[in-house]
Amino acid sequence: MFCEKAIELIRELHRMTDGQLPAFNEDGLRQVLQEMEALYEQNQADVNEAKTVGRADLIPSIKLRHSCLLRNQRCIVAYLYDRLLRIRALRWEYGSVLPANVRFHMSAEEVQWFGQYKKSLASFMRSIGGEEGLDITQDMKPPKSLYIQVRCLKDHGEFEIDDGTVILLKKNSQVRTGCFLAVSFLMLQ
Amino acid sequence: MDPSEVEFLAEKEFVKIIPNFSLDKIYLIGGDLGPFNPGLPVDVPVWLALNLKQRQKCRILPPEWMDVEKLEEMRELERKEEAFTPAPSPYYMELTKLLLNHASDNIPKADEIRTLVKDIWDTRIAKLRLSADSFIRQQEAHAQLDNLTLMEINTIREFLLDSLNCMYKLRSNLQPGSSKGRFADY
Amino acid sequence: MSDALSEDGSDINQDDSQEDVMTPAELIAKLEEAWLNEKFSPELLENKSEVVECVMEQLTHMEANLQRVKKGDAKAGFHRMEIDRIRFVLSSYLRSRLQKIEKFFPHVLEREKSRVDGQQSLLSPEEFAFAKEYYANTETYLKTVALKRMPPNLQTVDMLKAVPEPCLDSFVFLRVKERQENILIEPESDEQRDFVVDLEEGSQHLMRYRTIAPLVSSGAVQLI
Repeated sequence: MFCEKAIELIRELHRMTDGQLPAFNEDGLRQVLQEMEALYEQNQADVNEAKTVGRADLIPSIKLRHSCLLRNQRCIVAYLYDRLLRIRALRWEYGSVLPANVRFHMSAEEVQWFGQYKKSLASFMRSIGGEEGLDITQDMKPPKSLYIQVRCLKDHGEFEIDDGTVILLKKNSQVRTGCFLAVSFLMLQ
Repeated sequence: MDPSEVEFLAEKEFVKIIPNFSLDKIYLIGGDLGPFNPGLPVDVPVWLALNLKQRQKCRILPPEWMDVEKLEEMRELERKEEAFTPAPSPYYMELTKLLLNHASDNIPKADEIRTLVKDIWDTRIAKLRLSADSFIRQQEAHAQLDNLTLMEINTIREFLLDSLNCMYKLRSNLQPGSSKGRFADY
Repeated sequence: MSDALSEDGSDINQDDSQEDVMTPAELIAKLEEAWLNEKFSPELLENKSEVVECVMEQLTHMEANLQRVKKGDAKAGFHRMEIDRIRFVLSSYLRSRLQKIEKFFPHVLEREKSRVDGQQSLLSPEEFAFAKEYYANTETYLKTVALKRMPPNLQTVDMLKAVPEPCLDSFVFLRVKERQENILIEPESDEQRDFVVDLEEGSQHLMRYRTIAPLVSSGAVQLI
Protein backbone atom coordinates (compact mmCIF):
# COMPACT_ATOMS: atom_id res chain seq x y z
CA MET A 1 0.00 0.00 0.00
CA PHE A 2 1.18 3.48 -0.83
CA CYS A 3 1.88 5.98 1.94
CA GLU A 4 2.14 3.22 4.55
CA LYS A 5 5.71 4.17 5.41
CA ALA A 6 4.87 7.85 5.66
CA ILE A 7 2.09 7.11 8.11
CA GLU A 8 4.49 4.97 10.09
CA LEU A 9 6.69 8.06 10.59
CA ILE A 10 3.74 9.97 11.97
CA ARG A 11 2.74 7.08 14.23
CA GLU A 12 6.25 6.91 15.55
CA LEU A 13 5.96 10.48 16.87
CA HIS A 14 2.43 9.91 18.04
CA ARG A 15 3.54 6.97 20.19
CA MET A 16 6.08 9.13 22.01
CA THR A 17 3.86 10.80 24.54
CA ASP A 18 4.64 14.07 26.32
CA GLY A 19 6.82 15.49 23.60
CA GLN A 20 9.75 13.10 23.82
CA LEU A 21 12.04 12.99 20.84
CA PRO A 22 12.60 9.57 19.24
CA ALA A 23 15.71 8.94 17.15
CA PHE A 24 15.60 10.59 13.75
CA ASN A 25 14.30 7.97 11.32
CA GLU A 26 16.63 8.56 8.39
CA ASP A 27 15.84 5.17 6.98
CA GLY A 28 12.08 5.71 7.07
CA LEU A 29 12.47 9.11 5.45
CA ARG A 30 14.59 7.63 2.66
CA GLN A 31 12.03 4.90 2.00
CA VAL A 32 9.21 7.43 1.64
CA LEU A 33 11.34 9.54 -0.70
CA GLN A 34 12.09 6.44 -2.76
CA GLU A 35 8.41 5.63 -2.98
CA MET A 36 7.77 9.19 -4.14
CA GLU A 37 10.42 8.90 -6.79
CA ALA A 38 8.90 5.67 -8.11
CA LEU A 39 5.38 7.14 -8.11
CA TYR A 40 6.63 10.21 -9.92
CA GLU A 41 8.45 8.20 -12.60
CA GLN A 42 5.42 6.00 -13.23
CA ASN A 43 3.28 9.08 -13.52
CA GLN A 44 5.70 10.73 -15.95
CA ALA A 45 5.57 7.65 -18.16
CA ASP A 46 1.78 7.40 -17.98
CA VAL A 47 1.31 11.11 -18.62
CA ASN A 48 3.44 10.81 -21.74
CA GLU A 49 1.49 7.83 -22.94
CA ALA A 50 -1.84 9.49 -22.18
CA LYS A 51 -0.76 12.50 -24.18
CA THR A 52 0.85 10.79 -27.16
CA VAL A 53 -1.42 7.78 -27.60
CA GLY A 54 -4.46 9.45 -26.04
CA ARG A 55 -5.03 6.78 -23.40
CA ALA A 56 -7.62 8.45 -21.20
CA ASP A 57 -7.99 5.25 -19.16
CA LEU A 58 -4.64 6.06 -17.52
CA ILE A 59 -5.90 9.27 -15.97
CA PRO A 60 -7.48 7.73 -12.84
CA SER A 61 -4.25 5.99 -11.86
CA ILE A 62 -2.27 9.15 -12.55
CA LYS A 63 -4.60 11.01 -10.19
CA LEU A 64 -4.30 8.31 -7.56
CA ARG A 65 -0.51 8.41 -7.67
CA HIS A 66 -0.53 12.17 -7.50
CA SER A 67 -2.70 12.10 -4.38
CA CYS A 68 -0.28 9.62 -2.83
CA LEU A 69 2.61 11.93 -3.67
CA LEU A 70 0.89 14.84 -1.99
CA ARG A 71 0.07 12.74 1.04
CA ASN A 72 3.66 11.54 1.31
CA GLN A 73 4.92 15.08 1.07
CA ARG A 74 2.47 16.20 3.72
CA CYS A 75 3.41 13.40 6.11
CA ILE A 76 7.13 14.02 5.75
CA VAL A 77 6.79 17.74 6.35
CA ALA A 78 4.53 17.06 9.33
CA TYR A 79 7.08 14.58 10.72
CA LEU A 80 9.95 17.01 10.35
CA TYR A 81 8.03 20.03 11.60
CA ASP A 82 6.66 18.26 14.64
CA ARG A 83 10.19 17.19 15.55
CA LEU A 84 11.34 20.81 15.30
CA LEU A 85 8.60 21.83 17.72
CA ARG A 86 9.76 19.18 20.17
CA ILE A 87 13.37 20.30 19.80
CA ARG A 88 12.28 23.88 20.37
CA ALA A 89 10.55 22.85 23.59
CA LEU A 90 13.81 21.24 24.74
CA ARG A 91 15.57 24.62 24.53
CA TRP A 92 13.12 25.95 27.10
CA GLU A 93 13.35 22.87 29.25
CA TYR A 94 17.10 22.25 29.32
CA GLY A 95 18.65 25.57 28.35
CA SER A 96 21.00 26.10 25.45
CA VAL A 97 23.05 22.93 26.02
CA LEU A 98 21.06 19.78 25.45
CA PRO A 99 21.84 16.55 27.31
CA ALA A 100 23.81 14.03 25.28
CA ASN A 101 21.01 11.45 25.13
CA VAL A 102 18.72 14.02 23.50
CA ARG A 103 21.34 15.26 21.03
CA PHE A 104 21.99 11.64 20.12
CA HIS A 105 18.45 11.45 18.70
CA MET A 106 18.82 14.50 16.50
CA SER A 107 19.98 14.57 12.90
CA ALA A 108 22.87 16.81 11.84
CA GLU A 109 20.42 19.21 10.18
CA GLU A 110 18.28 19.32 13.28
CA VAL A 111 21.33 20.23 15.34
CA GLN A 112 21.94 23.01 12.85
CA TRP A 113 18.33 24.25 13.07
CA PHE A 114 18.60 24.17 16.85
CA GLY A 115 21.83 26.19 16.75
CA GLN A 116 20.16 28.86 14.63
CA TYR A 117 17.08 28.88 16.89
CA LYS A 118 19.29 29.43 19.92
CA LYS A 119 21.04 32.29 18.14
CA SER A 120 17.77 33.98 17.14
CA LEU A 121 16.39 33.60 20.64
CA ALA A 122 19.56 34.96 22.22
CA SER A 123 19.66 38.04 20.02
CA PHE A 124 15.97 38.62 20.67
CA MET A 125 16.55 38.50 24.42
CA ARG A 126 19.61 40.75 24.19
CA SER A 127 17.61 43.36 22.30
CA ILE A 128 14.88 43.75 24.94
CA GLY A 129 15.06 47.10 26.70
CA GLY A 130 18.41 48.52 27.67
CA GLU A 131 21.95 47.27 27.51
CA GLU A 132 21.86 43.79 28.94
CA GLY A 133 18.48 42.68 27.67
CA LEU A 134 16.27 40.23 29.53
CA ASP A 135 16.64 36.46 29.82
CA ILE A 136 13.04 35.33 29.39
CA THR A 137 13.96 31.68 29.80
CA GLN A 138 14.32 32.54 33.50
CA ASP A 139 11.43 33.39 35.84
CA MET A 140 9.23 30.63 34.48
CA LYS A 141 7.22 30.49 37.73
CA PRO A 142 5.85 33.35 39.79
CA PRO A 143 8.32 34.37 42.52
CA LYS A 144 7.61 33.36 46.10
CA SER A 145 8.67 35.70 48.82
CA LEU A 146 8.35 32.94 51.39
CA TYR A 147 11.03 31.39 53.45
CA ILE A 148 12.34 27.87 53.59
CA GLN A 149 14.42 26.05 56.12
CA VAL A 150 17.93 24.97 55.15
CA ARG A 151 20.56 23.05 57.05
CA CYS A 152 24.19 23.98 56.56
CA LEU A 153 26.48 21.13 55.64
CA LYS A 154 29.67 23.08 56.14
CA ASP A 155 30.88 26.35 57.58
CA HIS A 156 30.31 29.20 55.23
CA GLY A 157 30.51 32.27 57.43
CA GLU A 158 28.41 35.35 56.77
CA PHE A 159 26.03 35.28 53.86
CA GLU A 160 23.86 38.10 52.61
CA ILE A 161 20.53 36.94 51.27
CA ASP A 162 18.56 38.83 48.69
CA ASP A 163 16.53 40.89 51.09
CA GLY A 164 19.69 42.35 52.55
CA THR A 165 19.73 40.36 55.78
CA VAL A 166 23.08 38.88 56.70
CA ILE A 167 22.93 35.39 58.14
CA LEU A 168 25.65 33.29 59.68
CA LEU A 169 26.01 29.86 58.13
CA LYS A 170 27.62 27.41 60.54
CA LYS A 171 27.94 23.72 59.94
CA ASN A 172 24.83 21.80 61.05
CA SER A 173 22.95 24.94 62.04
CA GLN A 174 19.47 25.50 60.68
CA VAL A 175 18.51 28.82 59.12
CA ARG A 176 15.58 30.19 57.23
CA THR A 177 16.31 31.79 53.93
CA GLY A 178 14.02 33.60 51.58
CA CYS A 179 15.04 33.26 48.08
CA PHE A 180 15.55 30.51 45.56
CA LEU A 181 18.65 32.28 44.34
CA ALA A 182 20.17 32.25 47.76
CA VAL A 183 19.39 28.59 48.16
CA SER A 184 20.73 27.55 44.80
CA PHE A 185 23.86 29.49 45.55
CA LEU A 186 24.24 27.58 48.78
CA MET A 187 23.67 24.30 47.05
CA LEU A 188 26.53 25.04 44.71
CA GLN A 189 28.94 25.49 47.59
CA MET B 1 -3.34 29.68 33.45
CA ASP B 2 -1.31 28.02 36.13
CA PRO B 3 -2.95 28.23 39.59
CA SER B 4 0.33 29.64 40.90
CA GLU B 5 -0.22 32.60 38.59
CA VAL B 6 -3.70 33.22 40.00
CA GLU B 7 -2.14 33.08 43.46
CA PHE B 8 0.47 35.55 42.26
CA LEU B 9 -2.30 37.98 41.31
CA ALA B 10 -4.02 37.41 44.65
CA GLU B 11 -0.82 38.42 46.42
CA LYS B 12 -1.30 41.92 45.03
CA GLU B 13 -4.36 42.42 47.25
CA PHE B 14 -3.81 44.62 50.28
CA VAL B 15 -4.06 43.50 53.92
CA LYS B 16 -3.54 45.37 57.15
CA ILE B 17 -0.53 44.46 59.22
CA ILE B 18 0.74 45.62 62.58
CA PRO B 19 4.51 45.90 62.26
CA ASN B 20 6.92 45.59 65.18
CA PHE B 21 9.62 47.72 63.53
CA SER B 22 9.92 51.24 62.22
CA LEU B 23 10.80 52.20 58.71
CA ASP B 24 10.29 55.33 56.59
CA LYS B 25 7.92 55.45 53.70
CA ILE B 26 9.12 53.22 50.91
CA TYR B 27 8.71 54.10 47.25
CA LEU B 28 8.07 50.95 45.25
CA ILE B 29 7.59 51.10 41.49
CA GLY B 30 3.98 50.04 41.96
CA GLY B 31 3.24 52.67 44.64
CA ASP B 32 4.23 53.95 48.07
CA LEU B 33 4.10 51.90 51.26
CA GLY B 34 4.36 52.84 54.90
CA PRO B 35 5.70 54.51 56.92
CA PHE B 36 5.96 51.61 59.34
CA ASN B 37 5.67 52.23 63.06
CA PRO B 38 5.58 49.56 65.76
CA GLY B 39 1.99 48.86 66.78
CA LEU B 40 0.39 51.04 64.10
CA PRO B 41 -1.66 49.26 61.43
CA VAL B 42 -0.56 49.83 57.85
CA ASP B 43 -1.76 48.49 54.46
CA VAL B 44 0.65 46.35 52.45
CA PRO B 45 0.28 43.86 49.60
CA VAL B 46 -0.12 40.25 50.69
CA TRP B 47 3.25 39.22 49.22
CA LEU B 48 4.99 41.63 51.53
CA ALA B 49 2.78 40.83 54.51
CA LEU B 50 3.60 37.13 54.24
CA ASN B 51 7.30 37.81 53.97
CA LEU B 52 7.28 40.08 57.03
CA LYS B 53 5.14 37.62 58.93
CA GLN B 54 7.54 34.79 58.25
CA ARG B 55 10.39 36.87 59.52
CA GLN B 56 8.29 37.66 62.61
CA LYS B 57 8.24 41.34 61.78
CA CYS B 58 4.51 41.81 61.89
CA ARG B 59 1.08 40.53 62.81
CA ILE B 60 -1.46 40.23 59.99
CA LEU B 61 -5.00 41.49 60.58
CA PRO B 62 -7.45 39.21 58.78
CA PRO B 63 -9.49 40.90 56.03
CA GLU B 64 -12.96 41.96 57.17
CA TRP B 65 -14.75 39.19 55.31
CA MET B 66 -12.56 36.53 56.94
CA ASP B 67 -14.93 36.24 59.85
CA VAL B 68 -16.97 33.24 60.95
CA GLU B 69 -20.29 35.06 61.22
CA LYS B 70 -19.98 36.83 57.88
CA LEU B 71 -18.87 33.69 56.11
CA GLU B 72 -21.74 31.69 57.61
CA GLU B 73 -24.19 34.20 56.18
CA MET B 74 -22.50 34.02 52.81
CA ARG B 75 -22.57 30.25 52.85
CA GLU B 76 -26.32 30.22 53.54
CA LEU B 77 -26.97 32.76 50.80
CA GLU B 78 -24.80 30.87 48.34
CA ARG B 79 -26.72 27.66 49.06
CA LYS B 80 -30.10 29.38 48.79
CA GLU B 81 -29.54 31.35 45.60
CA GLU B 82 -29.48 29.70 42.25
CA ALA B 83 -27.13 32.31 40.74
CA PHE B 84 -23.66 33.13 42.00
CA THR B 85 -23.72 35.54 44.92
CA PRO B 86 -20.96 38.15 45.19
CA ALA B 87 -17.79 36.39 46.38
CA PRO B 88 -16.34 37.49 49.75
CA SER B 89 -13.32 38.77 47.81
CA PRO B 90 -12.19 38.36 44.19
CA TYR B 91 -9.43 36.17 45.59
CA TYR B 92 -11.19 34.64 48.59
CA MET B 93 -9.90 31.10 48.02
CA GLU B 94 -6.28 32.03 47.42
CA LEU B 95 -6.18 34.53 50.27
CA THR B 96 -7.71 32.03 52.66
CA LYS B 97 -5.13 29.47 51.69
CA LEU B 98 -2.20 31.89 51.89
CA LEU B 99 -3.18 33.54 55.15
CA LEU B 100 -4.24 30.36 56.90
CA ASN B 101 -1.13 28.51 55.83
CA HIS B 102 1.31 31.20 56.83
CA ALA B 103 -0.40 33.29 59.48
CA SER B 104 -3.01 31.07 61.09
CA ASP B 105 -1.96 32.25 64.56
CA ASN B 106 -3.18 35.75 63.61
CA ILE B 107 -6.58 34.59 62.43
CA PRO B 108 -9.22 33.80 65.04
CA LYS B 109 -11.10 30.51 64.50
CA ALA B 110 -8.84 29.60 61.60
CA ASP B 111 -10.19 26.05 61.32
CA GLU B 112 -13.81 27.16 61.16
CA ILE B 113 -12.92 29.71 58.51
CA ARG B 114 -11.14 27.09 56.47
CA THR B 115 -14.21 24.86 56.53
CA LEU B 116 -16.63 27.69 55.72
CA VAL B 117 -14.60 28.91 52.77
CA LYS B 118 -14.29 25.35 51.50
CA ASP B 119 -18.09 24.97 51.74
CA ILE B 120 -18.67 28.20 49.83
CA TRP B 121 -16.16 27.13 47.21
CA ASP B 122 -17.76 23.69 46.81
CA THR B 123 -21.24 25.16 46.43
CA ARG B 124 -20.04 27.61 43.83
CA ILE B 125 -18.05 25.04 41.87
CA ALA B 126 -21.09 22.75 41.80
CA LYS B 127 -23.14 25.61 40.33
CA LEU B 128 -20.37 26.32 37.87
CA ARG B 129 -20.36 22.71 36.66
CA LEU B 130 -24.13 22.79 36.19
CA SER B 131 -24.02 26.00 34.20
CA ALA B 132 -21.11 24.83 32.07
CA ASP B 133 -23.05 21.66 31.34
CA SER B 134 -26.15 23.57 30.29
CA PHE B 135 -24.07 26.02 28.25
CA ILE B 136 -22.73 23.17 26.18
CA ARG B 137 -26.03 21.29 26.03
CA GLN B 138 -27.98 24.32 24.80
CA GLN B 139 -25.20 25.27 22.38
CA GLU B 140 -25.23 28.76 23.77
CA ALA B 141 -23.12 31.51 22.25
CA HIS B 142 -22.91 33.83 25.19
CA ALA B 143 -23.01 33.63 28.98
CA GLN B 144 -22.78 36.31 31.59
CA LEU B 145 -20.66 35.23 34.55
CA ASP B 146 -20.73 38.06 37.04
CA ASN B 147 -19.38 37.32 40.52
CA LEU B 148 -17.21 34.43 39.36
CA THR B 149 -13.64 34.74 40.60
CA LEU B 150 -10.55 34.18 38.50
CA MET B 151 -9.64 31.01 40.39
CA GLU B 152 -13.14 29.62 39.80
CA ILE B 153 -12.97 30.40 36.10
CA ASN B 154 -9.55 28.84 36.04
CA THR B 155 -10.81 25.48 37.34
CA ILE B 156 -12.99 24.97 34.26
CA ARG B 157 -11.16 27.09 31.72
CA GLU B 158 -9.18 24.48 29.89
CA PHE B 159 -11.80 21.77 29.93
CA LEU B 160 -14.69 24.02 28.93
CA LEU B 161 -12.86 25.96 26.22
CA ASP B 162 -11.30 22.85 24.71
CA SER B 163 -14.70 21.13 24.62
CA LEU B 164 -16.34 24.14 22.99
CA ASN B 165 -13.60 24.39 20.37
CA CYS B 166 -13.72 20.70 19.68
CA MET B 167 -17.47 20.73 19.18
CA TYR B 168 -17.19 23.77 16.98
CA LYS B 169 -14.73 21.97 14.75
CA LEU B 170 -16.88 18.88 14.56
CA ARG B 171 -19.92 20.98 13.64
CA SER B 172 -18.15 23.01 10.99
CA ASN B 173 -16.69 19.85 9.48
CA LEU B 174 -20.26 18.71 8.91
CA GLN B 175 -20.78 21.53 6.46
CA PRO B 176 -19.22 20.48 3.18
CA GLY B 177 -16.79 22.89 1.59
CA SER B 178 -16.24 24.77 4.80
CA SER B 179 -12.59 25.13 5.58
CA LYS B 180 -13.34 27.06 8.73
CA GLY B 181 -12.25 25.23 11.85
CA ARG B 182 -10.94 22.35 9.82
CA PHE B 183 -8.55 20.10 11.70
CA ALA B 184 -5.08 21.30 11.08
CA ASP B 185 -2.89 18.26 11.16
CA TYR B 186 0.42 19.60 10.04
CA MET C 1 18.25 54.19 54.73
CA SER C 2 20.34 55.38 51.82
CA ASP C 3 19.17 58.19 49.59
CA ALA C 4 19.45 55.99 46.56
CA LEU C 5 16.02 54.51 47.12
CA SER C 6 14.22 57.66 48.17
CA GLU C 7 13.36 58.81 44.68
CA ASP C 8 10.35 57.13 43.23
CA GLY C 9 11.99 56.37 39.92
CA SER C 10 9.56 58.40 37.89
CA ASP C 11 11.86 58.82 34.91
CA ILE C 12 9.19 58.12 32.39
CA ASN C 13 7.24 61.14 33.54
CA GLN C 14 9.90 63.30 31.95
CA ASP C 15 9.95 61.34 28.73
CA ASP C 16 8.68 63.71 26.03
CA SER C 17 7.90 60.93 23.60
CA GLN C 18 5.14 59.67 25.91
CA GLU C 19 2.02 61.52 24.94
CA ASP C 20 0.02 60.85 28.03
CA VAL C 21 1.99 60.89 31.23
CA MET C 22 1.84 57.60 33.09
CA THR C 23 2.92 57.00 36.65
CA PRO C 24 5.11 53.93 37.28
CA ALA C 25 2.15 52.32 39.03
CA GLU C 26 -0.07 52.85 35.97
CA LEU C 27 2.70 51.50 33.80
CA ILE C 28 2.84 48.27 35.80
CA ALA C 29 -0.97 48.01 35.61
CA LYS C 30 -0.74 48.37 31.82
CA LEU C 31 1.86 45.62 31.69
CA GLU C 32 -0.35 43.29 33.73
CA GLU C 33 -3.35 43.97 31.48
CA ALA C 34 -1.27 43.27 28.39
CA TRP C 35 0.06 40.10 30.02
CA LEU C 36 -3.40 38.63 30.73
CA ASN C 37 -4.78 39.68 27.34
CA GLU C 38 -1.87 38.08 25.55
CA LYS C 39 -2.14 34.94 27.68
CA PHE C 40 -5.80 34.38 26.83
CA SER C 41 -6.19 35.72 23.32
CA PRO C 42 -5.95 33.05 20.61
CA GLU C 43 -4.12 35.43 18.26
CA LEU C 44 -1.07 37.63 18.67
CA LEU C 45 -2.05 41.11 19.82
CA GLU C 46 -0.44 44.39 18.85
CA ASN C 47 2.94 44.87 20.46
CA LYS C 48 3.31 47.12 23.49
CA SER C 49 6.94 48.02 22.91
CA GLU C 50 6.74 51.32 24.74
CA VAL C 51 5.37 49.62 27.87
CA VAL C 52 8.09 46.95 27.71
CA GLU C 53 10.79 49.57 27.30
CA CYS C 54 9.53 51.75 30.13
CA VAL C 55 9.24 48.78 32.49
CA MET C 56 12.76 47.66 31.60
CA GLU C 57 13.94 51.18 32.32
CA GLN C 58 12.25 51.12 35.72
CA LEU C 59 13.83 47.77 36.56
CA THR C 60 17.31 48.79 35.44
CA HIS C 61 17.05 52.04 37.34
CA MET C 62 15.95 50.30 40.52
CA GLU C 63 18.61 47.58 40.22
CA ALA C 64 21.26 50.26 39.80
CA ASN C 65 20.05 52.01 42.95
CA LEU C 66 20.11 48.75 44.85
CA GLN C 67 23.75 48.26 43.91
CA ARG C 68 24.59 51.33 45.97
CA VAL C 69 22.68 50.25 49.04
CA LYS C 70 24.49 49.22 52.21
CA LYS C 71 24.43 45.64 53.39
CA GLY C 72 21.50 44.79 55.58
CA ASP C 73 19.20 47.59 54.39
CA ALA C 74 15.65 46.52 55.12
CA LYS C 75 14.10 48.45 52.25
CA ALA C 76 16.35 46.78 49.70
CA GLY C 77 14.58 43.48 50.36
CA PHE C 78 11.17 45.00 49.61
CA HIS C 79 12.49 46.44 46.38
CA ARG C 80 14.11 43.17 45.34
CA MET C 81 10.89 41.27 45.91
CA GLU C 82 8.98 43.78 43.84
CA ILE C 83 11.56 43.66 41.06
CA ASP C 84 11.26 39.85 40.99
CA ARG C 85 7.49 40.13 40.63
CA ILE C 86 7.61 42.68 37.83
CA ARG C 87 10.34 40.78 36.00
CA PHE C 88 8.22 37.65 36.13
CA VAL C 89 5.21 39.39 34.54
CA LEU C 90 7.39 41.01 31.88
CA SER C 91 9.15 37.73 31.00
CA SER C 92 5.92 35.78 30.98
CA TYR C 93 4.32 38.39 28.73
CA LEU C 94 7.18 38.29 26.24
CA ARG C 95 7.19 34.47 26.38
CA SER C 96 3.47 34.29 25.51
CA ARG C 97 4.09 36.51 22.52
CA LEU C 98 7.13 34.61 21.34
CA GLN C 99 5.22 31.33 21.61
CA LYS C 100 2.47 32.69 19.39
CA ILE C 101 4.97 34.13 16.93
CA GLU C 102 6.54 30.69 16.61
CA LYS C 103 3.20 28.93 16.41
CA PHE C 104 1.75 31.21 13.71
CA PHE C 105 4.93 32.54 12.09
CA PRO C 106 3.81 32.54 8.42
CA HIS C 107 0.54 34.31 9.28
CA VAL C 108 2.19 36.81 11.57
CA LEU C 109 4.69 37.76 8.88
CA GLU C 110 1.97 37.90 6.23
CA ARG C 111 -0.01 40.30 8.38
CA GLU C 112 3.08 42.53 8.70
CA LYS C 113 3.57 42.46 4.95
CA SER C 114 0.01 43.46 4.16
CA ARG C 115 -0.04 46.15 6.82
CA VAL C 116 -1.12 49.52 5.50
CA ASP C 117 0.56 52.77 6.50
CA GLY C 118 -0.50 54.05 9.87
CA GLN C 119 -1.77 50.65 11.01
CA GLN C 120 -0.15 49.62 14.28
CA SER C 121 2.46 46.92 13.78
CA LEU C 122 1.77 43.54 15.33
CA LEU C 123 5.43 42.86 16.03
CA SER C 124 8.07 44.91 17.76
CA PRO C 125 11.25 45.40 15.68
CA GLU C 126 12.97 42.68 17.75
CA GLU C 127 10.07 40.28 17.32
CA PHE C 128 9.98 40.98 13.60
CA ALA C 129 13.66 40.11 13.30
CA PHE C 130 13.07 36.93 15.28
CA ALA C 131 10.06 35.89 13.18
CA LYS C 132 11.96 36.40 9.93
CA GLU C 133 14.89 34.34 11.16
CA TYR C 134 12.56 31.63 12.42
CA TYR C 135 10.85 31.46 9.04
CA ALA C 136 14.10 31.33 7.09
CA ASN C 137 15.63 28.76 9.43
CA THR C 138 12.63 26.45 9.25
CA GLU C 139 12.20 26.81 5.51
CA THR C 140 15.88 26.11 4.85
CA TYR C 141 15.70 23.09 7.10
CA LEU C 142 12.68 21.56 5.36
CA LYS C 143 14.22 22.21 1.95
CA THR C 144 17.58 20.68 2.80
CA VAL C 145 16.27 17.60 4.53
CA ALA C 146 13.29 16.68 2.40
CA LEU C 147 11.84 19.01 -0.19
CA LYS C 148 14.98 19.15 -2.34
CA ARG C 149 14.92 15.36 -2.48
CA MET C 150 11.33 15.23 -3.70
CA PRO C 151 10.05 15.20 -7.32
CA PRO C 152 10.40 18.58 -9.08
CA ASN C 153 6.71 19.51 -8.75
CA LEU C 154 6.67 18.89 -5.00
CA GLN C 155 9.67 20.88 -3.86
CA THR C 156 7.76 23.72 -2.26
CA VAL C 157 5.28 23.89 0.59
CA ASP C 158 2.91 26.79 1.09
CA MET C 159 3.72 27.71 4.68
CA LEU C 160 0.54 29.77 5.00
CA LYS C 161 -1.51 26.66 4.33
CA ALA C 162 0.76 24.25 6.15
CA VAL C 163 0.86 26.09 9.47
CA PRO C 164 -2.55 26.45 11.16
CA GLU C 165 -4.01 29.88 11.66
CA PRO C 166 -5.09 31.13 15.08
CA CYS C 167 -8.68 30.09 15.74
CA LEU C 168 -10.53 33.36 16.29
CA ASP C 169 -13.72 31.43 17.00
CA SER C 170 -12.31 30.20 20.31
CA PHE C 171 -14.30 31.17 23.37
CA VAL C 172 -12.74 33.55 25.89
CA PHE C 173 -13.62 34.90 29.33
CA LEU C 174 -13.64 38.65 29.68
CA ARG C 175 -14.39 41.53 32.04
CA VAL C 176 -15.88 44.76 30.69
CA LYS C 177 -13.99 47.96 31.45
CA GLU C 178 -16.04 50.37 29.32
CA ARG C 179 -19.74 49.83 28.71
CA GLN C 180 -20.61 48.57 25.21
CA GLU C 181 -24.03 48.48 23.55
CA ASN C 182 -25.50 46.19 20.93
CA ILE C 183 -22.84 43.55 20.62
CA LEU C 184 -24.10 41.10 18.02
CA ILE C 185 -23.87 37.48 19.06
CA GLU C 186 -24.01 34.99 16.22
CA PRO C 187 -25.91 31.78 16.80
CA GLU C 188 -24.21 28.45 17.39
CA SER C 189 -26.67 26.38 15.39
CA ASP C 190 -29.12 26.85 12.55
CA GLU C 191 -32.16 26.63 14.80
CA GLN C 192 -31.03 29.66 16.79
CA ARG C 193 -31.18 33.32 15.86
CA ASP C 194 -28.58 35.98 16.41
CA PHE C 195 -29.17 38.49 19.19
CA VAL C 196 -27.56 41.52 20.74
CA VAL C 197 -26.26 42.05 24.26
CA ASP C 198 -25.14 45.11 26.17
CA LEU C 199 -21.89 44.73 28.06
CA GLU C 200 -22.18 46.57 31.35
CA GLU C 201 -19.09 47.96 33.00
CA GLY C 202 -17.64 45.43 35.43
CA SER C 203 -19.69 42.50 34.11
CA GLN C 204 -18.02 39.26 33.06
CA HIS C 205 -18.78 37.18 29.99
CA LEU C 206 -17.98 34.04 28.05
CA MET C 207 -18.17 34.39 24.26
CA ARG C 208 -16.28 34.00 21.04
CA TYR C 209 -13.06 35.93 20.73
CA ARG C 210 -13.95 37.08 17.20
CA THR C 211 -16.95 39.04 18.51
CA ILE C 212 -14.95 41.18 20.90
CA ALA C 213 -11.46 41.18 19.34
CA PRO C 214 -11.59 44.93 18.51
CA LEU C 215 -12.62 45.66 22.11
CA VAL C 216 -9.55 43.86 23.42
CA SER C 217 -7.20 46.00 21.36
CA SER C 218 -9.04 49.20 22.24
CA GLY C 219 -8.84 48.31 25.93
CA ALA C 220 -12.62 48.32 26.46
CA VAL C 221 -12.57 44.73 27.71
CA GLN C 222 -9.97 42.70 29.61
CA LEU C 223 -9.52 38.97 28.96
CA ILE C 224 -9.51 36.94 32.17
